[in-house]
Amino acid sequence: MRAWRYFLYILIAIILLTLPFYTGVYLLNVIDIILIYLALALSWDMLLRSGQISFGMAGLFGVGGYTAVLLHLNAGVNPLFSIILGGLAAGVLAWVIGMAVLQLRGMYFAIVTLALAEIFRVIVRNLPDLTGGPEGTVLPSAIFSGNSTRTYWLVLAVAVVSVMASEIFRRTRIHFALTSIRNDEVVAKSSGIDVFKYLVFIFMVTSAIQGMIGGAYAHIYGFVSPEGSFSVDFTLLPIAMALLGGMHSTWGPVVGALVLGIVSEFLKLKIPYGHLLVYGLIIVIAILFFPQGIVGTLGQRFKRTGKV
Amino acid sequence: MSLIGKLKQRNYQIAFICLILAVLLGLWKPHVLIEGLQRACLYAVIALPMALILGIVGIINLAHGDFMMLGAYFAYWLNVYTGMDPLVAILPALLAFFLIGMASYRAIIRYVLGAPELNQLLLTFGLAMVLEQLANLIWTSRPMKLPLKYVSASATIGSFTFGTYEFIYVGAAIIVLAGLLLFLKRTSTGQAALAVGQNPRGAKLVGIHVDRTYLLIFSLSIALVGAIGAIFMTRHSIFPLVGASFTMKSFCLIAMAGIGNLMGILWCSLILGLAENFVLSFRGYAGWADILFFALIVFVIIVRARQRQVK
Amino acid sequence: MAVLETENLSRNFGGLAALNHVSIEFRKNEILGILGPNGAGKTTLINVIAGIYLPTEGRILFHGQDISELPAHQRCRLGIARTFQLVRPLPGLTLLENVMVGSLFGKGLGQKEARRRAAQLCEFLGLSGVTRDITRMTVLEIKKMEIARALATQPKLLFLDEVMAGLNSDETREMIDLVKKIHSRGITIGIVEHVMRVIRELTDRVVVLDWGEFLAAGPYEEVSNDPRVITAYLGEEA
Repeated sequence: MRAWRYFLYILIAIILLTLPFYTGVYLLNVIDIILIYLALALSWDMLLRSGQISFGMAGLFGVGGYTAVLLHLNAGVNPLFSIILGGLAAGVLAWVIGMAVLQLRGMYFAIVTLALAEIFRVIVRNLPDLTGGPEGTVLPSAIFSGNSTRTYWLVLAVAVVSVMASEIFRRTRIHFALTSIRNDEVVAKSSGIDVFKYLVFIFMVTSAIQGMIGGAYAHIYGFVSPEGSFSVDFTLLPIAMALLGGMHSTWGPVVGALVLGIVSEFLKLKIPYGHLLVYGLIIVIAILFFPQGIVGTLGQRFKRTGKV
Repeated sequence: MSLIGKLKQRNYQIAFICLILAVLLGLWKPHVLIEGLQRACLYAVIALPMALILGIVGIINLAHGDFMMLGAYFAYWLNVYTGMDPLVAILPALLAFFLIGMASYRAIIRYVLGAPELNQLLLTFGLAMVLEQLANLIWTSRPMKLPLKYVSASATIGSFTFGTYEFIYVGAAIIVLAGLLLFLKRTSTGQAALAVGQNPRGAKLVGIHVDRTYLLIFSLSIALVGAIGAIFMTRHSIFPLVGASFTMKSFCLIAMAGIGNLMGILWCSLILGLAENFVLSFRGYAGWADILFFALIVFVIIVRARQRQVK
Repeated sequence: MAVLETENLSRNFGGLAALNHVSIEFRKNEILGILGPNGAGKTTLINVIAGIYLPTEGRILFHGQDISELPAHQRCRLGIARTFQLVRPLPGLTLLENVMVGSLFGKGLGQKEARRRAAQLCEFLGLSGVTRDITRMTVLEIKKMEIARALATQPKLLFLDEVMAGLNSDETREMIDLVKKIHSRGITIGIVEHVMRVIRELTDRVVVLDWGEFLAAGPYEEVSNDPRVITAYLGEEA
């Protein structure tokens, strides 16, 4: 069984890596977007596993984007490195916010994150000298001069980082901590888990990933703006994907992203507006009728036959 | 919960702070005082229904502000098609949104009452998105406004002119607050609702119909917020996202005052309204007023967490 | 030599004094019974000692060290563990994984080592089929799991909160023997119990609480004849 699995993974890896050599530019761009949302969906799920919801993904995403672009433009930082710094900036920000707000969990934390995107948007809009104000800032050229193969590899790398982080969260002691904290904080505390520290840590890590994704996105599209970089798309879609695919797993958000990504491409052709409405509906329907998502519901079916 | 003693004290403290701020502002920047007061009451009157749901049904409705938005559009289109003045439209709005509230409760909200808080947050978040996008789809994001003459009423005291129409918010806030308090404390339905809010299982044991209470309170809340939307429509231009920021601000006020403290919401709104207008009065800092609320809620959380530590 | 002492420990909830100036000690290697009618504050005592609530007044000394302000997870790492009156298994984890939570974080072991320790403890307590879903277990098994989870943190002081509740006669017998086995490993035990036969057999001493106040302490035989204790449980003569 083991050898089978490795073979499969290597095959998938090869396919993914060589994708640009036999797909057209349009398709590659679509895949780029799907991978970006996939990475975001995973990062959101990782925090969800601790029992906390962040509605502020777009905020951290945009912070990463702005940091990456501004560092590159004003300080001449290498684009790839600036993306990493974008992630770091988002992480530090999350640390500060988390330290303040994660003392109270649940809805208090969630509502604070709800405001994040708006707050950052306002800040960015009101510092025009630094950020280009309401018009945003345009890069003289997109990263790799818009080479779609290199761009794809960048996005793939970002997605892989997200997947790896998600798996690390699942296979190490972090999984136990998250599950305990999510299900029963009292038991977690009584068993020696420092709940607060773990929550801040997870919030920080997932936010850093979101910032990194935002940095990559900004460089790929070559501009940042208050409306564009903090758009509610970057919060709404990943959540819909994670819920659709199935929470608390790596496969769930991946499946959700693939399904929803493909569906949304069709939607954009049929209904030019209103696709955001569909995502909202998906969230509502998912919570009401199948909170386990696709993967979870299928997993239930196979639970009796498969091994744990 | 004999926190009532402590709360009363807190209310007096907050009220006292309000008074001092009001006097200072009245002397220094009277515009801020008047407009802050009016704005504060707008915040209060929107926050009160949300506090009702949170305190009694126990769920947070992230779509709250969006129902207000719907109420505003409701009044707008009623005016366009029938010429009905939005203020008159308060009555049909109350009715319509009571029904909408009932439908929402039956179809959607009921299912997540027993579920973990996460599900409730996600569900109402999805609902908020649906409402906003629906509005965007149907009515586009173009701001709409009604040209009503009476909203520009103003008065002059000495050399200082201010708008008087906006005092309608003050009136609304007082009416809603008084109405809710009377309802909850003096009527048997209201008292039953309070009981359910404190202890649903216990209330059920003494024969109170919990589900019906939830239905009533939820529908009442939506009805109120829809009607407020109608009032809001008279004075402001509306667009699909107009209600969204009120959700966060309402929650901020509730968190400040403490869940269950309706009176406190009024005082906290006053502080916030005055502070927000104060910041707004400095040119070039207009955008930072929103940040004020955010900073405030973070501050409130830190303070509350400290209090909980002692617990 | 006291493993743990409470000095004038009080804990209020609003106007209710759940614990009122309680001073007791847990001597090294003893099994101390914690008795009292319902609502006497027994579980609150455990909660305050374990760190789920901070005391309103008074101190807690663990091996002479003042732990009154320490957060719960640190008290666990110092060596205080407990089970819960209403069992709290963690869904989404198997039985073994539930126990591992204790060995991973209470003792800070690596995953492999934690798994080994957890498996050992399950065997020690007579638990089998440890890869089963936690939601498909009998009451006795879940109670044993909780004890294993607590033991996995390698405590010096273990609180068992109504561990016998809901067990039939045979299961109670098994549990009594288990507690003795645990005790023989050198762990000081505080046991909250209503079943007097268990108390009589297991405990060296007992303390009695009533309305959050300390009533009496001593060997069970003495205390059970104390008229104040009898009144607390049975009420006054008319």
